[in-house]
Amino acid sequence: MNTGPAITVNGLTKDFRIGLRGLKLRAVDNVSFEIPRGQVFGLLGPNGCGKSTTLKIILGLVSPTAGKVSILGFPFATTAARSRTGFLPEAPYFHKFLTGRELVAYCARLSGVKPESVNHAVEEALVLTAMTEAADRTIGTYSKGMLQRIGLAQAIVHDPELVILDEPTAGVDPVGSAAIGQMIKSMKSKGKTIVLCSHLLGQVEQVCDRIAIMDRGKLVLEGRVDDVLTRRDQNIITVENLTPDARRAAEEVLAQHGAKITSITHPRRSLDDLFRELVTGSRDA
Amino acid sequence: MPNFMKSSLTRISWMTRLTFLEAIRQRFFAFLILLSAALVLSSVSFRFLDFGHGELKFVCDFGFGGMFLFGSVLAVVMSAQLFFAEMDNRTALTLLAKPVSRTEFLVGKFIGVWLVLGVFIFTLSTLLGIILWARCQELTATAIEVGKAPPELSITGLLSYTGMQWARLGVVAAMILMVASLARTFLFTVIVGSMLVVAGQLQWLAQETLLKPGELNFFSKALLSISTYIIPNLQQFNIGDALTLDHGSVADGAVTLALFSGTCYIVVFLFIGSLIFRQREI
Repeated sequence: MNTGPAITVNGLTKDFRIGLRGLKLRAVDNVSFEIPRGQVFGLLGPNGCGKSTTLKIILGLVSPTAGKVSILGFPFATTAARSRTGFLPEAPYFHKFLTGRELVAYCARLSGVKPESVNHAVEEALVLTAMTEAADRTIGTYSKGMLQRIGLAQAIVHDPELVILDEPTAGVDPVGSAAIGQMIKSMKSKGKTIVLCSHLLGQVEQVCDRIAIMDRGKLVLEGRVDDVLTRRDQNIITVENLTPDARRAAEEVLAQHGAKITSITHPRRSLDDLFRELVTGSRDA
Repeated sequence: MPNFMKSSLTRISWMTRLTFLEAIRQRFFAFLILLSAALVLSSVSFRFLDFGHGELKFVCDFGFGGMFLFGSVLAVVMSAQLFFAEMDNRTALTLLAKPVSRTEFLVGKFIGVWLVLGVFIFTLSTLLGIILWARCQELTATAIEVGKAPPELSITGLLSYTGMQWARLGVVAAMILMVASLARTFLFTVIVGSMLVVAGQLQWLAQETLLKPGELNFFSKALLSISTYIIPNLQQFNIGDALTLDHGSVADGAVTLALFSGTCYIVVFLFIGSLIFRQREI
């Protein structure tokens, strides 16, 4: 088994020509990064920063102006590389007249799943994405959350090594987003490499091993989530029943060691956690 | 068969199925097939004109006219519409991120559209055949009663003509997909495609002009010669009357030659189309 990086992007640049005079718009500017196998990689940035263009170049849907991309050891997104990759596009749109099950089976056949294995693969993908109940309805009747989930099912039906998810939680309620987060964790536990583009920073922080942040086409930060988020010069101590006397005593002890308490606050749970605690299930299942 | 070829054919067949299913559901297809069927069936109401042998020719012309005109409109609009639906709705993004090559995508689209055109043309041809056969029986009985020669009708000829029309529509569909792979909009594709179809129907005029000696200067002659190779002669497929009512008047090998030429144009158009489509950014 190849143990090299799942994706290597080196000096990637993409210019789009605009108008008749051929003015150039630089969408991606000399971007380089590596995504190790078996990790969840978050690609973040504001709208129009070049994330989706970068993903499209990785998938061979758009050709780069300069730079190189290698995917699963292949020098570019060959048919062989794409057969081992799953992709959920941003705001996915599928043929409305197909049922969810038909779509996933159709994608399985296009991705090279053998006819005798299609039913099993489809069933597995539908179970993992919690779409079994709605699988026989036409896609035209699906809610946004269900579209994202069926999109995820079509992306993973052929058991790919690499799964690329472009805004999988866009338009999905917090319960659905949390479910998608769980699916990502579940895929990671099976050794898949996942590239995640998302604006849900809390979720990215929870599920990603590494992140890269892009702004105006450039890569402004890349590294392990723990490394980039942890402030090594400060510590948090959570204390129960802190009385004023105990606080004064603690301050004195800390002062003897040259340390100082800068703030004392009550811990808060996130709104995301509170919402999921109160709302038990998604309405669109 | 090598594995890669088998996989490729599988992907093309699935692209074809999806395109066919999408096309057959379109209201535009239903509308055109109903309109054309109404045109073919309405030809019976002109029986009162009682042209004898000429009546069958009249019915033939009506039916062939419907198949030709509405078939051309369907081939141009549906090929362009199905291609741009994939682009504009971004379903192409999902499909082409799978191990589907651009050539497989385009060929799958073509075969899907061509099958729908086949359904259209064979349905109308069956209707026309039934009408012609029924009227021919009546005219034959009348002719025998009055001691005249019965009218001639070749169902095999009608089938040959149907096959030729299907081939013609295949050439049109492949030509439109080639234009679509280059174009940015549906409207541009339909306009340019329609102009090419008209040029194809009139291409025989260029051939005739070239045969007349001394009428053209070198530049015009070169330009016309090139156009006769680039633009297919669509008129060569329109020999329905001769095939159905006067089979003997068709030159030997004319049908085979037309079908061979049609196949070559389809292959060339799809090849050029897929080369252009490979460069397209999705």
